[in-house]
Amino acid sequence: MSWNACGKIVLLACVAMLSFTAFAEENEPKGPSPQMLEKIRKKNDECFACHSEEGLKHPPQEGMDLKKLRGLLRDKEAFHASDHQRLACTKCHNEGYDDFPHEPDAKESTSSCPDCHQKKADHAQAQFDKSVHAKNLSDKFTCTTCHNPHVMRRADKLGDPRKIVEQDNRVCLGCHDSDERFAQFAPEKKDRPLIDDIHKWLPNTRAHWKAVRCVECHTPVVAAKEPISHEILDKKRAEKKCVTCHSRDTQLKVRLYRHLASEEQNKFGFANSVVLNENYVIGATRNPLVDKLMIGLAALTLFGVLGHAALRVVMHYLRRRNKND
Amino acid sequence: MTDERRHDDDRRHQERRIGDRRTGTGGVRIYILPGWVRAWHWTNAILILTMIATGFSLHYADAKIPVVEFSLAVRIHNTAGVLLVALWSFFVIANAVTGNWWQFVPKPPGILERCIKQTRYYMWGVFKGEHEPYPVTPEENFNALQALTYWFMIYIVMPLLVVTGLIFLYPQYAPKEMFGVDGLFPIAVVHYVCATIVATFIVAHVYLCTFGKKVSSTFKTMITGWHEH
Repeated sequence: MSWNACGKIVLLACVAMLSFTAFAEENEPKGPSPQMLEKIRKKNDECFACHSEEGLKHPPQEGMDLKKLRGLLRDKEAFHASDHQRLACTKCHNEGYDDFPHEPDAKESTSSCPDCHQKKADHAQAQFDKSVHAKNLSDKFTCTTCHNPHVMRRADKLGDPRKIVEQDNRVCLGCHDSDERFAQFAPEKKDRPLIDDIHKWLPNTRAHWKAVRCVECHTPVVAAKEPISHEILDKKRAEKKCVTCHSRDTQLKVRLYRHLASEEQNKFGFANSVVLNENYVIGATRNPLVDKLMIGLAALTLFGVLGHAALRVVMHYLRRRNKND
Repeated sequence: MTDERRHDDDRRHQERRIGDRRTGTGGVRIYILPGWVRAWHWTNAILILTMIATGFSLHYADAKIPVVEFSLAVRIHNTAGVLLVALWSFFVIANAVTGNWWQFVPKPPGILERCIKQTRYYMWGVFKGEHEPYPVTPEENFNALQALTYWFMIYIVMPLLVVTGLIFLYPQYAPKEMFGVDGLFPIAVVHYVCATIVATFIVAHVYLCTFGKKVSSTFKTMITGWHEH
């Protein structure tokens, strides 16, 4: 490849990145002004003064119930990277938290997700009702059981598939890889199946968990532009066909990699190059040119050999006939 | 003859590779392949054919035409692959110990001329019913072209296949990124290209086995160890 062509590719990549960034910024909901944001952060710092590791180590007030506080700590940095980073704590924790000690019934007036996200919640609820989690646990499950509002970031905002995988799998493994948390939700007498044991059929199990999300297999197939469903499938209904991802028509394109711009999808002449940039997926990441060359080499050899053999037979027959004549 | 070559020949004699020449019947019958080489060859053949079938169905994985079911293909490919690594290591060590590696080295002088003559025979002479220009001897089982090809396959292509295959088996040790793409991709391309070379080699290799005294002669040699021409 010439330097000129390389330059063009780099330029195209830069333009693609810039337009992607612009798109991402446009898509971000209009938040408060910088001055307002500073004010909000200052106000939130009053909450973090107690509700943080630092607050627990050096409580700003005497007589605090530190045991209770230990269970109510929040990570300030994680919150500032989350979807709710521009909100004041009091947006949700709205009544009874202004003073310390907080009002005893303050928790009851804390906003729930549908208060702001009604449409999404209705949509998710219909899917959740069919989920394995709705079977025995519908009364224990809320949005925040999985979607921690203090840390979660939308997949399209995270962008990097590795970060999406890390965030989302932490949610599932948080319960399914922890006896303590599993017991909080599971029906009595239900032992937690060992996560490695139930996935024994899956080659390179742990490598899969680093590269793809649990929901890649544990949710039903959705249309290309639809978000992943909230209908979590149990092991009987989960995807077990490897070729769903490991093939040219990989589902990964409309799942984990759906947020990356479509023009990225077939860059550099690779099938599924958007996947390739992050992960090599056997069966899905192929270079059609290399494939053609390899098939060509094999076909050429095979036909060469067949042609040679045919000619040998003919020549042998002719020699014999000439000899007999 | 150099000391090394003489020493090597002595070793071969100890391995009962002395030709049992039978003259007077118009042909030559010599023992050229010891049991371990034949055992290696057929085990190697079975493992490589298994690798090609499963490797093909992994790379060209398709929901509509599954050659071997994907997760089954992965397990077979991995198991056969580990066995093949062991077998290839055994062959390289056994070659070094027994001196069999010397068979894969084309002996000077006139390597190029002999290669050209051999190619001319394959492309022209064979159709005219000419005889093999360099018949098999106990000292030299292969003609120069064969020696070069086998050397290339065993000491270049196979190591590349083995190393890239092992990285595939333990992808956590693969470089995170190479040339701006996932580190496993260049590894995959090398593995795929080498595997295709092996597959095409097998096609030509099997076909060239029909060039014996009779079409079936060389196949028999690979079973009995006795060569006839």
